Amino acid sequence: MMQPVTGKELEYVVDSMSNEDLLMKQCAVAAVSATNPALRAMCASMQQVHEQHYQALVSKLEQHQQMAPTQPQH
Amino acid sequence: MQQAQIQSMLPEADLAYTVLADLKRVVREYATAATEANCPEIRQMFTDLLNSSLRMQGDLYQLMQQNNMYSSPSPALRQELEKQLDQNRQTLQQTKQLIQQMMSAAPQAMQHMPMGSMQSGQTHPQQHQQNQQHQQQGHFYN
Repeated sequence: MMQPVTGKELEYVVDSMSNEDLLMKQCAVAAVSATNPALRAMCASMQQVHEQHYQALVSKLEQHQQMAPTQPQH
Repeated sequence: MQQAQIQSMLPEADLAYTVLADLKRVVREYATAATEANCPEIRQMFTDLLNSSLRMQGDLYQLMQQNNMYSSPSPALRQELEKQLDQNRQTLQQTKQLIQQMMSAAPQAMQHMPMGSMQSGQTHPQQHQQNQQHQQQGHFYN
């Protein structure tokens, strides 16, 4: 059922990883520097979710690692 | 570190807005990625990430609005709504007539083209449900 990841998919996964990485940092900054307690709490929880997103993307690539061909295919 | 120092000098509304804007961008990117995915399980991952990001964006927007960090756009006027509804009822009427003409011009062709044959391979039960939902939703607009 599982197919090798395509070049396009790989690019989207990698782009998404850098997006999630940036959002993790942004949320962390907002969580420590905001004065509104509700905003602080939300940013702290969002930072955790972005970390989970990042982890999901990494795991997906790891799952596909063995399946990827070593020679270009037609 | 330097970026963090600069960002911590920003008012919290700007900080929240930066996160909100990036969430909006990420939601769009996940939607694009899902539509262009080849493997079903990669598509599912992007769909899950899309839903999760969309939820966070909505929650953050609500919080910002409640705390006056985001001014709500002004409501559309009733006349404008009526005008749009009127125009679109006409368009729908014309579309229905056109489809009816097409169906009666080629009745056999339409009958011999089941929905499933337009999609490659087997239809998933989920897709069937979605089709039914679309049809049900369609009734509201009749």
